[in-house]
Amino acid sequence: MAEPYVFKLASQRSEWLSTRETLIAGNVANANTPGYRATDLQPFSSVLDATQMTMATTNPMHMTPTEQDLNPARVVETDPSDETISGNSVRLENEMIKLGDVNRDYTMDTNLKRVMHQMMLSVLK
Amino acid sequence: MPDPLESSLKIAGAGLEAQSLRLRIISENVANSQSTATTPGGDPYTRQTITFGNELDRASGLNLVQVKSIGLDQAPFKVEHDPGNPAADASGFVKLPNVDMLTELADMREANRSYEANLQVAKQSADLESQTVSLLKDA
Repeated sequence: MAEPYVFKLASQRSEWLSTRETLIAGNVANANTPGYRATDLQPFSSVLDATQMTMATTNPMHMTPTEQDLNPARVVETDPSDETISGNSVRLENEMIKLGDVNRDYTMDTNLKRVMHQMMLSVLK
Repeated sequence: MPDPLESSLKIAGAGLEAQSLRLRIISENVANSQSTATTPGGDPYTRQTITFGNELDRASGLNLVQVKSIGLDQAPFKVEHDPGNPAADASGFVKLPNVDMLTELADMREANRSYEANLQVAKQSADLESQTVSLLKDA
C-alpha cells in the first residue's frame, strides 16, 4: 500500500523545517564572522510545486531529483545598508523570529502527525 | 546527510565555543588593562583581538564557525608621566596598555548576546527532537 499523501506531506514539511533550523543555526553561529552572508531555504510552497509533479522513471538512465536538489539553500538578498562594516549580513533579530516560526510550525506538524495516527488507529479499532 | 536537527545542535555548539573564547580574550584584556612592562621603558600588555571564520566541516558538510586568528591590536599605547614607576623610561614616561574599557565592555555585551542566541538555537533543536520522539508516546 502506498503511503497516504498526508503522511508524506507531513514528513516533507518536517524535513524542510529541520533543514531550515540548520541554516538558522549556521547564521546565528556566524553572526560575528566577517564576510558571511545569511542563507535561507526557498519557501516550502516551491518545494511542494517541484515534488507534486514528478516525472515517471521509464528508463533506468533517468535521474530523479534527490531531496537535496529540491531543498537548495539560497543566499538571502539583503539591503547593503543592513550589512555591518565587515560584510556580514546576519541580523540576529531576524534569525530569532525565524527560529520562533520554525518552532511553531514544527509543533503544529508533529501534532498533526499525532492526530493522523490517531485517526488511522481509530479506523483499525 | 546527517540529521538536520542534530547538525543544528553541533553548529550551535561551535558557536558557543567561539563566543566563549571571545569572552576569554575580553577578560584577559580587562584583567591586564593596567599591566605595564617589567623592564624600564619596555612595552606593556598589548590588547588582543579575535577574528571568526566560517568553516565548512568536510566530514558532515556543515557550516561551522571557528576562531580564525587571535591577533594584537596595532593601536598606540597610552603614555603617562610617572617617574616613580619601575616601568618608566629615562625621561619618566610610562607606556600603558592600549586597552579601552568602554570598547571591551561593549564587546562583552555583544559576545553575551551572541552566546545567548546560540544557546537558544541549541535549546530549540533539542526541543524539536524530543517533540518528534514523543510521537511514540500515547499513539
